[in-house]
Amino acid sequence: MTDSSKQHIEEKRDVTFRVHRFNPQVDSKPYFDDYTIKLEKGITVLRALNYIKEHVDASLTFRAFCQAGICGSCAMRINNMSKLACTTQVWDELERTREPNVIRVEPLRNLPLIKDLVVEMDPLVGKMQQFSNWVDSKMPEEQWGRKEFLVSEEEFRKYDKATDCILCASCVSECTILRANRDYVSPAVLLKSYRMNVDSRDASHEQRLAGLVGDHGVWDCTHCYRCQETCVKHIPIMDAIHGIREDAIERRGVKDTSGARHAEAFMTDIGKKGKLVEATLPIRTNGVAWTLKNLLPMAFKMVIKRRTPPPPLLVKSTSGIEQFRAEFREMSGHVAKDHEKKSGE
Amino acid sequence: MKRYAYYQSCINESMTREVDRSIQLWQHDLGIEMVNLHESTCCGGSNLDYVSPKHFALVNARNIAAAEKLGMDLVVSCNTCLMTIRSAKKKLDESPELKAEVNDLLRKEGLEYRGTSEVRHLLWVLIDDVGLDAIRAKVKTPLSRLRIAPFYGCHILRPSTVLGRDNPLEPTSLDLLLEALGGRTIPYDHKNRCCGFHTLLVAEEESLNVAAEALKEAMDEKADCIVTPCPLCHTVLDGYQSKALKKNGLRGSIPVFHLSEVVGLALGYSDRQLGIRRHIVTA
Repeated sequence: MTDSSKQHIEEKRDVTFRVHRFNPQVDSKPYFDDYTIKLEKGITVLRALNYIKEHVDASLTFRAFCQAGICGSCAMRINNMSKLACTTQVWDELERTREPNVIRVEPLRNLPLIKDLVVEMDPLVGKMQQFSNWVDSKMPEEQWGRKEFLVSEEEFRKYDKATDCILCASCVSECTILRANRDYVSPAVLLKSYRMNVDSRDASHEQRLAGLVGDHGVWDCTHCYRCQETCVKHIPIMDAIHGIREDAIERRGVKDTSGARHAEAFMTDIGKKGKLVEATLPIRTNGVAWTLKNLLPMAFKMVIKRRTPPPPLLVKSTSGIEQFRAEFREMSGHVAKDHEKKSGE
Repeated sequence: MKRYAYYQSCINESMTREVDRSIQLWQHDLGIEMVNLHESTCCGGSNLDYVSPKHFALVNARNIAAAEKLGMDLVVSCNTCLMTIRSAKKKLDESPELKAEVNDLLRKEGLEYRGTSEVRHLLWVLIDDVGLDAIRAKVKTPLSRLRIAPFYGCHILRPSTVLGRDNPLEPTSLDLLLEALGGRTIPYDHKNRCCGFHTLLVAEEESLNVAAEALKEAMDEKADCIVTPCPLCHTVLDGYQSKALKKNGLRGSIPVFHLSEVVGLALGYSDRQLGIRRHIVTA
């Protein structure tokens, strides 16, 4: 046997796909089916699923189209992480299985299940409609189709990366807060909203932003970075989320939402003492009534265990605070100049 | 004795004082010394960066520059401080203009951000500098009776472009350390998931749901305790535990330890010495 044919045989393996199954017309609850097939190195998970559908079980249902990582249809959870089946190598997945040679395949999370590996995308589309995730043109209607809308390279660069999104919903599936509350805006919608808000042709910026800072909006993100880590196009989604927050503070101030008040407390405390004054953070974020209702029952236990943060007067300023304050103030001057320059443009 | 500039996290100076107390106890046993950076300021807690990106760069350039002045790496024992300071460092290292602007201000107090000190988590120092074999050799009371659910928390793993020490999908550092201390770790989904801390004051209900799910899985997997390298995760999983479980109709309880406490326990210190009795959930 030649070396190359030996190598060829060694790179064939029996692989088990443990696939999530559910047909709402006949099943009372979801279950898993195991399909063991012999595969060669170099095969993607989508090709393996296609093989199973064609040769083993025609009833297995999943979505797929382009097979090239472009259309976003075949997003599913493979070994506990949402990704595209068509760009995921079986051999790579075999290295991270909990049970040897068994790859788990499940539908995306945080969206209603239709059948087997197929989920309903309507809730996501609905949120995109809610936040007008399209360019609402500044150009008067009579000029449409008659005049070009020029976008400079610098203007385009602001949302270049965000336009890579293929709406596969992997980030939606992995979102921590969406899992805790289905009403949450979701990372894909925040990314799209950011992309529209920084588009120089768009006229709905203020209105969209007002919606984004509302209930279950941008301030509910818990900065877990799972969306960004799972993004199949490597889009820095958290930069977009932080971008919306920065924009909200700049345009709407720091008093209109608990999220903005919470963030601003960090700025204030650092500027004054160099340290966070944790004891008053809940009151500054949500007011006295909320704090008494939500935290008083816990405060008793914390006092007994000597876990309460020190009162503001006992929070010691950082060493060298005077000089630090001067630097901090001077930086505020730089920021004010930057804003003047920006608004003059 | 290898020395490090130790960044004092706000939460470890207020609510979770047992973290720094336990490190102080055992540091010399492992041949390391943490030099407190009294001039350091709050890192901005993953908030200042969008309130004012320039102030965010200034305060963290100053934090790192203070360590650079001592010629030491900056060691952090809070995940969010770690991620925050490291992302500021990345921004400063990638932008000569920003670096020049902050250095212009820092110069007035004799500081300069050069980018020469690394920003590292205590967990990484224990594994990479002290070494697992050296730690294993010092263990007096192995954690062998314990089935441990390691809870890494987000900001020691993600974003991987800023952290990069562990594979965020399959982290191993905390497991390796706990095993060196004689413990048995369990595989479970929440190992690399979120505790919900950062929305506790903004979206409390969601945060408590997130925490309850993590606690439930650890209890369902019959873990004896959870161990975390982050005092923020500890605050939610320990301090808010009964509230989170009750709100989600769940029963039971599970002790949650700081990484620094289990190192201390394995090296022979008592729960009283380590401040474990300060926890809300009795360990």
